Amino acid sequence: MPDIAYPLAERTLANGLRVFVSADHTVPTVTVNIWVKVGSRDEVAGRTGLAHLFEHLMFQGSRNVPSGEHFSALLAAGGRVNATTWFDRTNYFETVPKGALELALWLEADRHGRLLDAVTQENLDNQRDVVKEEKRQRYDNSPYGNAMRDVYATIFPQGHPYHHPTIGSMADLEAATLADVHAFFAEHYGPNNSVLTIVGDVTEAEAFGLVEKHFGPLRPTATARVEGTMPVLPPLTEPVRFEHRGPVPNDRLYLAFRLPADGTEDFLAVGLAMDILGGLSSSRMVERLVRTETIATGLSAHPMGLAGGVSLGIVSADVLEGIDPEVVERAICEELERFAAAGPTDEELEAAVAETERSWLSALAGQDERADQISHYAALYDDPGYVNSFLDRVRAVTAAEIRAAATAYLLPQQRAVVAYLVDVEPGQAATSPTISAEDGVQR
Amino acid sequence: MTPEAVDNPEALPRPDVRPAEPFVVPLPVRERLDNGLTVLRYDMPGQYIHSVRLAIPIALHQEPLAKEGVATIMARTLDEGTARHTALEFARLLERRGVALGAGVGESGLSLDIDVAKRHLDYALDLLRQALVEPAFPSDQVERHISTRLAEIEQERSIAGHRAAAEFWSTYFDPASRASRPVGGRAETVAAVTREDVLAFHARHVAPDEATLVIAGDFTGIDVIASISRALGGWTAQPAYQAPPARPTPDVAPDRARIVVVDRPESVQTEVLVGAPGPDRQVEGGWAPYPLLGFMLGGGPTARLDALLREDKGYTYGVRASFRPRRREGVFLTSGSVRADATVDAVRLLLGVLDGAREGFTDEEVAHGVRYLTLTAPGRYATADAVADEAAALAYDGLTTGFTGQTLRDLTGMDADRVSAAYRRFVDGRWTVVLVGDAAGFIDGVRDLGRGDVTVVPA
Repeated sequence: MPDIAYPLAERTLANGLRVFVSADHTVPTVTVNIWVKVGSRDEVAGRTGLAHLFEHLMFQGSRNVPSGEHFSALLAAGGRVNATTWFDRTNYFETVPKGALELALWLEADRHGRLLDAVTQENLDNQRDVVKEEKRQRYDNSPYGNAMRDVYATIFPQGHPYHHPTIGSMADLEAATLADVHAFFAEHYGPNNSVLTIVGDVTEAEAFGLVEKHFGPLRPTATARVEGTMPVLPPLTEPVRFEHRGPVPNDRLYLAFRLPADGTEDFLAVGLAMDILGGLSSSRMVERLVRTETIATGLSAHPMGLAGGVSLGIVSADVLEGIDPEVVERAICEELERFAAAGPTDEELEAAVAETERSWLSALAGQDERADQISHYAALYDDPGYVNSFLDRVRAVTAAEIRAAATAYLLPQQRAVVAYLVDVEPGQAATSPTISAEDGVQR
Repeated sequence: MTPEAVDNPEALPRPDVRPAEPFVVPLPVRERLDNGLTVLRYDMPGQYIHSVRLAIPIALHQEPLAKEGVATIMARTLDEGTARHTALEFARLLERRGVALGAGVGESGLSLDIDVAKRHLDYALDLLRQALVEPAFPSDQVERHISTRLAEIEQERSIAGHRAAAEFWSTYFDPASRASRPVGGRAETVAAVTREDVLAFHARHVAPDEATLVIAGDFTGIDVIASISRALGGWTAQPAYQAPPARPTPDVAPDRARIVVVDRPESVQTEVLVGAPGPDRQVEGGWAPYPLLGFMLGGGPTARLDALLREDKGYTYGVRASFRPRRREGVFLTSGSVRADATVDAVRLLLGVLDGAREGFTDEEVAHGVRYLTLTAPGRYATADAVADEAAALAYDGLTTGFTGQTLRDLTGMDADRVSAAYRRFVDGRWTVVLVGDAAGFIDGVRDLGRGDVTVVPA
C-alpha cells in the first residue's frame, strides 16, 4: 500500500523550544500546535482543576493582546482555534490561512511569554464561573457524566497524579487565587517546557524562521518537566469495586485496567487485545454479550494512553433491562480468561490491525490532527516520527505478544469495576460505600 | 504577587496578515448510471482514506403511524446478516479490511457511509451492495435492535439536551405532523415493529432511482466510476418501490409560541432551547445570510450570545445558535446550559439578544463573520470525509457543493442591511422555548417574563 511518510524537520531553539515542521502543500492552510508539558497530573492537593482553568485564562489577553482578541483576531483571519487540557499536557492550536501564520505565532508567543500582565481578578472570576458551568454541563448534569471520575478514583490510589479528573473539584476551583495563577505560569509555561509543531503550506525555512523570530527572544523560564520519571504502577492484584446508584436510564458497568504506559510495545499489544476483545463490531465480547446472548445493549473497549508509568483500559457495557449486571460482568471476565489462555486468532488480529490502520490514516488526513500527533509523541515520548512509524509497529505485533500482554494486564482479578446502577427505590442514598484501590503503588 | 518574575523582552510589532489565495470549493464530476443512481466524484490527491456516502431520500411520514421507527430499525439491520452471510460473518468481512460502514435515518432520508483505505475500495463497495440489495433482516437481529432502540429512548430521556430537543419538536410542530415525533420512533411504535415491517419498508423505499452516491478520495491510478458501476450498476428498485413525495409542506403548530418546562428536580443546570421558523436552502434572496447570522449570534466566544452570557455573566459554558435548513423551510435554533439559579436572568438576556438583533448588525460584525466563514472554507473542506459529508447533505435537496461555492461567493459581497433584513424576515419575537431543569427554582420568574403561556411537564 502507499504507506504514509510525512516529511518532518526538527530544530531546537537556544531557549529550549523544540520545533517541528511538516510541509503539506495540498491545502493553503497552516496548523500551529503547541504542547505544554503540564496537565492535571502536575496539580497539587487543594488545587485540582487549575491546569484547565489556567488554559481558559490563556484566551483572556496578554501584554500586547486585549482580552478576547486572541480569538477575534484569529477568527477574523480565517482561523479555527481551541485548546484542551488533559492528564499529561495542555495543548493550544489553530489552523489558519497561510498568510496568517505569522500573526498566529505572534499571538502565541505573547501569551506563552507575556501572559501575566493581562491576568486580572475579574478575568479569573469570570473564567472560574465558565469552567464551573463546563463541569456542570459535561459531568454533573449528565447521567453517567461522573463515571470516569469514579474510575480514576477507584483504579488509581489516593495521591496518585491520575487519581483526580482534569476538570477538578468545585471546592478547588473556588479556592484558586491570582497568586496560584501567577505561580503556575512561572513554573510551567516557557519555551523550555513546550513543543511547537507547524503542519501545512509553508516551507521549512520560513516556518523555522518565523518561530525563531517570535519565540527566540523568550527566556527559558519554566521548570522543564522530565518525562519518564513517574514510577510504574503495576496492575491490581485483586478486584476493587465502586457502585453508584442514581437516576440513570440503565445499569452500566465500567471494567477498568491498569495498562503499561503509552509509547511502549506492550501498550500497542494490549491495545490490540482490547480491540479484539471489545473494540470492534466483530469483537468477542460484542458477539457474545450483544449479538448472541443479548444481555447487553452495547459494549465497547478502548485503551487510553497515558505517559506516567501507567495507562488505562476500559471495557464498558450497557446492561439490558431485566438482566442482572453480575451476569454481564461474569461473561466479560470469562472472555478475558479465555483470551488470556489462547490469544487471538489470525483473523481477529488481521481485523484489529486493519481497523487501526483505517482510523489512524483518517485521523492524519487533516493537518490539525497530524500536527497534534507530532506534538504529542515529541512532547511525551521524544518520538516525533511516531506518525510515520506507528503502523509499521502495529503490524509487527504478534499474536503471542498480544496474548502475553493480555495475560499481564487484562485478567479478571486485575479489574476495577465502577457500576452505575438504576436507583430502584427512589429517595435511597445515591452512593454506596467505596472500596478504594490502595494496593500496589510503588514509590 | 509574582513569585518569580517572568520578564521577557518586548514583543516585535504585530505582523500583518497576507491576503488569502482565492479558494474554489471542490466540485464533483457528475454521472448518472443506467439504473438511475447519481454518482458525484471528488478526486482529492493525498486523501488515502476514501469516503463514500449514499443518500436515499425518504419522507418519514411514509412510515406507518403505528410503526414509526421502522426506517431506523431497517437502517441499523442492513448489515446484520445478508443473503450470503450471518451478522457476525458480515461484521468480520467489514473489519478484516478495515471498512467502516454506518447507516442511519434523518429528516431527509436514509444514509449509508463507508470509509475505507483506497486499496480496499472495490472490496468495500461490494459489501455496501450486499447490505443494500441483499439484507436478510434476521428476526433475532431485528428484535435485538428494537430492544437497543428502546434502551436508547430511555438514555435520550435522561440527557437534558436530548430531552429538550424532543419536547421542542413536539411543541413546535403540529401534533399531526411526523416531524413532531422522534425520527427513531417512540417506545410503543418501535416495540410494534416486526421483521416483515422492516422487509416491506426496505422494498418500498430503498432504490437507486432518486439516490445519490458521493465518493471522495485520492483517485490516482484507479477507475472509480468503473468500480461503482461494477458494484451498484445492477441494483434496481423492487416492484413495491414508491418514489419519495415532493418536498413536504411545513406544519408548524399554530400555538408554538410558548414556554414548556420539563421538570427535573435537583438539576444543577437548566438546558435552554429556543426556536423559531427559518429558511430552507432555496429561500428567496439566497441562503448566504443565514450561516453568517448564526455565527454572529451564537458561533463562539466572540458572538453576541457568548459575549454576554459566558464572557460577561459567566452563566454558561457556551450558547450556540444556527439556522437549520429542512427539506422545506427550516428552523432557527439557539441552545445552551445555564446555571440553575441564573435561569430566569439567562433566559431574559438570551431572548433579549435574539430580539435585539432585529435592530440590525454592524458593518464590523458582518465583515468579521464574512471573513471567518469564507477564509476557514479551505480548511473545512480539506479532507475527503468533510467534502463527502457536505455533498451528501446537499444531495437530498438536489444540490452539490456548487451550492456551497455559490454561498461563499455571495457572502463576500454581503452588507449589514441585507443581513439584517434577512434576520427580520424570519424573526418576529415569537419563540418556542423549552427549559429542562428544576422547575421549582425558576417557574415563577419565567412566568413573569411575559413570553407566552408556560406549561410544566414531567421529565
